[in-house]
Amino acid sequence: MDHKVYILVVEDELEVMDALVKDLEKFEPFFPIETANTAKEAKEVIDYVLDHGHTIGLILCDHVLPGKNGVDLLIELQSDPHTSISKKVLVTGQAGQDDTILAINKADLDHYISKPWTEEELEMVVRDELTDFIIEQGKDLLSYMQILDAEKLSEAMRKKKMTDH
Amino acid sequence: METSKGISWLNDTETILRFIKKLIYELPELEDQVTVLKEGDLLFSQGEPLDFMYLILEGNIQLTRTQPDDTEVVLITLGAGSFAGLIAFTTGEPTLTSARITQKGLALKMRPQQFEQYLNDHPRLKHPLQQLMLNNMIQRYKSNLRLQTKTHALSKQLNKERNDLKVAYKKLEDTHQMLVHQEKMATLGELVAGFAHEVNNPASALMRAAENLVEIYAEFENNHYSYRLFKIGLHSEPTDSNTQRERMHLIEKKYPWVHERSSVRKLAQMPDEALDLIDKHRKKGELNSLVNHFEAGKMIHNIRIASQRIINLVKSLKSYSRQDQNKEELADIREGIRDTILVLSNRLKFVDVELELDNIPKTCANMGDLNQVWTNIIVNACDAMNGEGKITIKTEAKDRFIIVTISDSGPGISEDILPKIFEPNFTTKNNSADFGLGLGLAISHEIIGQAGGTIKAHNTEEGGAEFTISIPVRNDC
Repeated sequence: MDHKVYILVVEDELEVMDALVKDLEKFEPFFPIETANTAKEAKEVIDYVLDHGHTIGLILCDHVLPGKNGVDLLIELQSDPHTSISKKVLVTGQAGQDDTILAINKADLDHYISKPWTEEELEMVVRDELTDFIIEQGKDLLSYMQILDAEKLSEAMRKKKMTDH
Repeated sequence: METSKGISWLNDTETILRFIKKLIYELPELEDQVTVLKEGDLLFSQGEPLDFMYLILEGNIQLTRTQPDDTEVVLITLGAGSFAGLIAFTTGEPTLTSARITQKGLALKMRPQQFEQYLNDHPRLKHPLQQLMLNNMIQRYKSNLRLQTKTHALSKQLNKERNDLKVAYKKLEDTHQMLVHQEKMATLGELVAGFAHEVNNPASALMRAAENLVEIYAEFENNHYSYRLFKIGLHSEPTDSNTQRERMHLIEKKYPWVHERSSVRKLAQMPDEALDLIDKHRKKGELNSLVNHFEAGKMIHNIRIASQRIINLVKSLKSYSRQDQNKEELADIREGIRDTILVLSNRLKFVDVELELDNIPKTCANMGDLNQVWTNIIVNACDAMNGEGKITIKTEAKDRFIIVTISDSGPGISEDILPKIFEPNFTTKNNSADFGLGLGLAISHEIIGQAGGTIKAHNTEEGGAEFTISIPVRNDC
C-alpha cells in the first residue's frame, strides 16, 4: 500500500494525546497515525501527508486548542477540497451547544465524542467513520475487511458489482 | 356712595338671606313653599329630571356624584344661602349630582317652571333672588378656578411621582437581579463545595491506586532491567508531537527492522537511557514486552499527573467557593487571587499571568465575594484579549489600604463606555449565555462598596484596561 490513509489526532494536552493514540493503536497497521498539538502544526502535518501522495481519512480534533480552536480548524479544513473529504470528529470536554451546532453546520462534523471517552466508543466511531471514508473514496475494500466494518464493506462491494454489471 | 353701599349689601349672602327670610314670613303663599330638611333624606338623585329647585335657608346639603366605576365622590357641601339643583335648572337637563341632607334645616322649594312666575308675582323678591343666584354662580366659578389650578398642580406632582417611581422601579429591578445573581452564586458555591468533596474521594482512590500499582510492580518485576524500564517510564515526561516526529525518524533509521508504526512511536517516546537498556537486553526478551514495561510506567505516571491535577483543582475550587459565604474572616487576599487563577486555569490557558503580589496585611473580608470580583475582572480581560495575551496582577499596602491592580494587554475600554461599565446590565458581550448577564462589574462594584472600598477602571498608556481596587485594612471580625 503505497498510498496511505492517515488518521490525524489534534490535541494539545500531551497526556490526553498519549491516551488517544494508545486507544487507536489497533488501526495503525492500516491507518498510520499522525499527531499535532496545535492547529498550525495540524496544517503543516496535513500538507506533509498530502505532499507525499497520501490522504487524511479521519481527523480527531480537540475543542480547545492554542491560538485557534478546534471548531475553527475543522471549518477551515472543510473549505479545502483535499481535506473536505476527510471524516471529522470533535473530541471535547466542554464545547457549548453553539460551538457544536457551528461545527455540524459549517464543518460538516461527522461525529462528536465527549471526554472522558471509552475505548469501545472511540473504536466504534473511528471504525464507522473510516469505513464510510473508504467506501466513499472507492478504495480497495477487501484489504480493510479485517479492521473495518466487514458487513458494510461487503454490502458496498455487492452493490458495486451490481452497478458494474 | 349710595350705589357702592348697595353693591356691598347685595354681595353679602347673609344679609340677602335674612331679607328673603323676612319676606317669606310676610308672604303666606311663599311660606307654603318652605319645606323641612330632614337629615339623611335624598333631595334628588343623579341623572333624574329635576322637579324642584331648593334655596337652602338653614342646614346643609351634600352634593355627590357616582363615577362610572360606581365609586361615590363628594363634591361640595352647600349651606344656607346656596341653591341646590341650580345647574339643572339653568340648563334644563337631568341633574349631574345627587343631593343628600347632612344637617337638618329649611329650604325654599320651587318648581323650576314656576320660578319666573314667583319672580313676577313677588317683585320684591326678584332682585335679591337673582343676586343670590349670581353669588352662587360666582362662588362655583371661583371654586372651579381653584380646582383647575389644583388639578394642574396635582397632575404635575403625579408626573414627578410617576418618574420617581420609574427610577425606583428600575433600581428595584436591578437590585432584584443582583440579589438573584448573588443567590445563584451562593447556591453554586454550596454545590461546588459538595461537588469538590465528592470528587475528592475518587481522585484520592485514583492516586492511591497508582501508588499501589507502583509498589506491586516493584514486587512482581524484581527482574532488574524490566523494572528499570518501568521506573524510567514512571519518571518520563510526555513529548510533544513535533519532537516525537523527529525522534520517530531517528528510530526508523536506528531500528530498520521495526516495521510497526506504533512500535516506532513507542520507542520514540523513550529517553536514550531506556533505549540503551533495550539495546542491551533485546535478545533476552521480545521487544514488545520490554517496551510495555516502559509504557506501564508511563501510564502510571499519567495517572499520577492527572489525579494530582484533579486534586489541585478541587482544592482551589473548594477554597475559592468558600462554603461559609456570608462570613467575614481575617484573611490574606492574595490566597483568594491565587485560587481564582487556578480555578480559571482553563480560560487562562494561553494567557501569560504575571503576579507581583507584594506583602499585604491580612484583613477582614468576605473572601468568596472578593474572589467573585477577581473572577469577573479576569474573565472580562480574557474575553477582551480573545483568550490570548498578558494579565498582570499586583498587590500593595498603602496608608491602611490594600490596593489590587489588574491590568491586561487587550484593546482597553473605549472612552465613551468607560463611565458606564459599573452600571447593571451594561455588557459588551452579545452572547449573554457565555458567562454572565452583564452584571459582573455591577456586582463587583457592589461587593467592593460593601467592603468599604472603591473600584476604578482606566486604560493604561500601553492601551490595555486596568482595574484598581482599594480596600481598607480592618481587624474587626
